[in-house]
Order: sequence, then C-alpha cells, then structure tokens
Amino acid sequence: MGDPLFMNGVGLAVLVIVIVKVLVAFAALMVAVMFMIWFERKVISDMQARIGPNRAGPFGLLQTLADGIKLFFKEDLLPERADLPVFKLAPYLSIVPAFLAFAIVPVGGVVTVAGHTFDLQVADPPIGILFLLAMSSISVYGVMLAGWSSGSKYPLLGSVRASAQMISYEAALGMTVTAVVLITGSLSTRAMVISQASHVWDWNIIRLGVVPFVLFMVAITAELNRPPFDLVEAEQELVGGFNTEYSSIRFALFYLAEFMNTITMSAVVVTLFLGGPDGPGFHFLRWLWPILWFIGKTLAFLFVYVWLRAALPRLRYDQLMDLGWKRLIPLSLGWLLVVAAVLVDRWWGLVVAAGLVLGAVVLSRSALVGRVRTDELEPEATS
Amino acid sequence: MDSYLPIFVLLVLGVLFAGLSFVASGMLAPRKHPTAAKLAPYECGIVPDVDPPQRFPVRFYLVAMIFIIFDIEIVFLYPWAVIFRQLRTFGLVEVLVFAGAVFISFLYLVSNGALDWGPVRRLMPAVRTRTTASTVRRVAARAAGSELPGPDAPGTGRAA
Repeated sequence: MGDPLFMNGVGLAVLVIVIVKVLVAFAALMVAVMFMIWFERKVISDMQARIGPNRAGPFGLLQTLADGIKLFFKEDLLPERADLPVFKLAPYLSIVPAFLAFAIVPVGGVVTVAGHTFDLQVADPPIGILFLLAMSSISVYGVMLAGWSSGSKYPLLGSVRASAQMISYEAALGMTVTAVVLITGSLSTRAMVISQASHVWDWNIIRLGVVPFVLFMVAITAELNRPPFDLVEAEQELVGGFNTEYSSIRFALFYLAEFMNTITMSAVVVTLFLGGPDGPGFHFLRWLWPILWFIGKTLAFLFVYVWLRAALPRLRYDQLMDLGWKRLIPLSLGWLLVVAAVLVDRWWGLVVAAGLVLGAVVLSRSALVGRVRTDELEPEATS
Repeated sequence: MDSYLPIFVLLVLGVLFAGLSFVASGMLAPRKHPTAAKLAPYECGIVPDVDPPQRFPVRFYLVAMIFIIFDIEIVFLYPWAVIFRQLRTFGLVEVLVFAGAVFISFLYLVSNGALDWGPVRRLMPAVRTRTTASTVRRVAARAAGSELPGPDAPGTGRAA
C-alpha cells in the first residue's frame, strides 16, 4: 500500500494474488463475452419473433465458441492496398484497451484468503476512472487506424465517422463522470462504490438527480457504437464499416473488443451510478452476495443495450452530432455546475439552476441563428 | 492493492492473447494464393477504379478541434472535482467563471453554424398549402380535363 510502482520490491504472496486475480478476470471476461454474444442474438431473435441460434450446445449456448473456432480456420487476407504495419497493429489497439478497461471495475467486496485481505477488483489505481477514459480514448485509435489503413472507401468513411462520433460523445461522457467524481471527492472506483454503500438513496443515480445517469447512458451507447448510434457500421451504407477489409482472426479480435467494451461499460454504469456491488446480503456466504448483485445489475444493462438495438432506428449523422454537441455536452456541463452549487449551498443551487435555464434558452436561440446563417451562405439551395 | 502491477500483468496477458491468436490462426488457416480480385478493396463486386478520397469535409477537422477545447476543460474539471469539498464557494465561483467563458465561445460557434451538419434546412416548406383536400381537388380537376390552377399549382403557392 502506498507504493504504486513497487519501488520496494514485490512480495511473493502479492504477486500470486495479482496473477490469480488477473487470470480469473481474464477468463471471466472471455466467458462473459461468449455468453453476451449468445444473449444478444437470442434476445434479439425473441424480439423479432425468430428462433435464433439453437444448434451448437444446449439452447445454442456454444454458438459463439463455434463461430470463434471457425474464424481461426479462415484464410487471413491482407488487402493489397492496405498499409500493412498499421493494418496489423489496429486489432491490438482495439483489444488491449478493452481488456485493460475492465481492470478498474469493482466486482465485489473485500475478502480474506489465507491471511491476505484484498478487494475483489483487478486493480484500484488512484487515477481510477481516468484510466477508463484513457482506455476508451485509445480504442478510438484502433477504429481510426483500422479504417484508414485498409486502403478502401467504406472502411475509411466508417472510421472517420467513428472517430468524430466517439470524440464528440467522449466530451459528454467525461463531464457526466466529473459529476460522480465531484460527489465522491475521489477518482478511485473503490471509493465511489464505498460512498454509495448502505442505502439505495445513497446511490449516485438518486444523489445526482437521474440526469447525469441518463446522459451517461446515451454517451456510452454512442461511445460503444451500439444501436441506435451504430453509424460506424451502418450496413446499408458502408458494407461493414471500419472492419470491412478485415477477415479471419483480425475480425474476431475487433468483434471481441466490441462486446468486451459493452460489458465493461455496463459494469461501469453500475459502478458509477447504481452502487456497484451494493445490495442486501445474508449472513451466510457473505462474500458472494455483492458479486451476485453486481452481476445482476450489469446483466440488466446488457439487456437494455439489446433492447435498444431491437427497438430504435439508427440516427442520421446530423441528428447524431446535434444530439451530442448541442444537447448532451451543454446539459452535462450545466448539470455538473448545479450539482457543485447545491453541494455548497441551497441558494447557490437555485442561482445556478436559473443560470442553466437561461443558458438553455440562449443556446437554443443561437442554434436557430446558426441554422439560418447556414441557409444564407448557400442561397442556391433555397431554389 | 492500489498499484499498477495488475494492470501491467493484464496488459501483458492481453497482448499475449492477441499475439497467440495470430500464431494459431497462422497455423490453422489455409495458405492460399489469393487472386487479384480477392486482394482488391471490397466494393460490392465492382472493380475499384478510384482511390479512396484523400480529402474530407472540413467539418470533421472542426469537430476534432472543438473537441480539444472541451477535453481541456474536462482535464481542468477533474482535479477541481476531487478537491471541491475543500474549495467550497471559491471553487464554485472560479469554475462558474471558467465554464461561462467556455460557454460563451461555444455559443459563438453554434450561432455561426460551426456544428451544423447535413442537408440545408429550408426556412419555409416549398409548398405550404398542400393538404389532402387540395390534392383531391387538383386530381379531380385534372381528371375532368380542366386544369384549374389550384392553390398548390406551380407558380402560385410556392414560397421561395
């Protein structure tokens, strides 16, 4: 403790704990991705009145495994116009941050095994949630470089769209997370979970007044390129998006990264807003209940993602950018200031809330002015 | 366990996993000599004759630059949020001034249409008075052979 870079050397017990934790997390994540892909296909087929995968294993549970093994046996094609070093690097840039991002999620309480007490969490670095933002920024590079290096039209279009979309929503994402940091007073995810423990009314979704939670959900859906924000791989326009030219195991790694990010982000929503592993437990098997609560809450969000995909049509690109820049970013900034003001004093809260309303009015007016200006610039278009 | 060691171990494991996947794929995948058509960029079966575009709408770059402004703002906000409970009113006023400055420049951007995408919106619809009733009347008139100029006939009801 208090020795983040292990300048004083590492004890053998600590090293064993670290390696066991990492291996368990790794295996759990892989199995979770496998079942998540099955879950998505099965739920969406139920919603569309289809049967879905039902051949490989009971209820088609092993379908993902079969697909994965199949991809290993596929020809590994390197397109002739591809920029090969970058083309080969891009899957790594996608999959490695996806693995790493899960490290900061607290999956359970504190346990003691053979005299060593540790958190059920791969790592709890002091920068905590910033690490998650860093990883999600790096995964933008994976998508961007994959599309750019393919030397083909559709992947390039998909990746440029993707990077613009992901950085736009990352700003809103960062500001809603700031609200959580504000109320916790720490960047560590463990501290966030502890500050929400004990009662449902202490969960951040209630304490911050629902709005940051909703904004965060929208922002991560866009950040993950999940429907209705999946313009990156809009099949009708872009064939497959940034990974059109990828085949075989390279494609599998992108696919894996995408679903791993979905799981991680669901877990992060649970951590930031729904108390993480917090929930009523019983006196027997005390260590198990938090984990079950965590898994249950995460599953609920994973279901919501599949539900969104089944229920909502894809946004148009200008709608996407309008939503991100003109609504999410100003609102998340404004709400952050209101939360800060309420933490200081109730009257400050009222003043800043009034300022938020005023800002919204001015912003909608200036958006209108901007639209009219664009019209004036292109007089030909108005016949 | 407030350390970065687990993250480093996970990083090594992740890179190993991806690397070993490639090795396994290299051993298991068929080694063929693909045809020229297979190696060509995928364009739904059409032989590509134009290179992918080298230029892109400037809006994408604009968005990237505006993003940097907000990203810098977020970079400032994180340390502020961590120690906000000690700063209290001073911290609030200070960040209100800061956010106000950013918001005003943001208003300037929006009111210049810097963040507008997509098709140009017309202020007024091209034909304002077209309703179900008018269309029925127009079609009926055309069927009767007399081209009565209805309210939505070209040249009369059109607002430029």
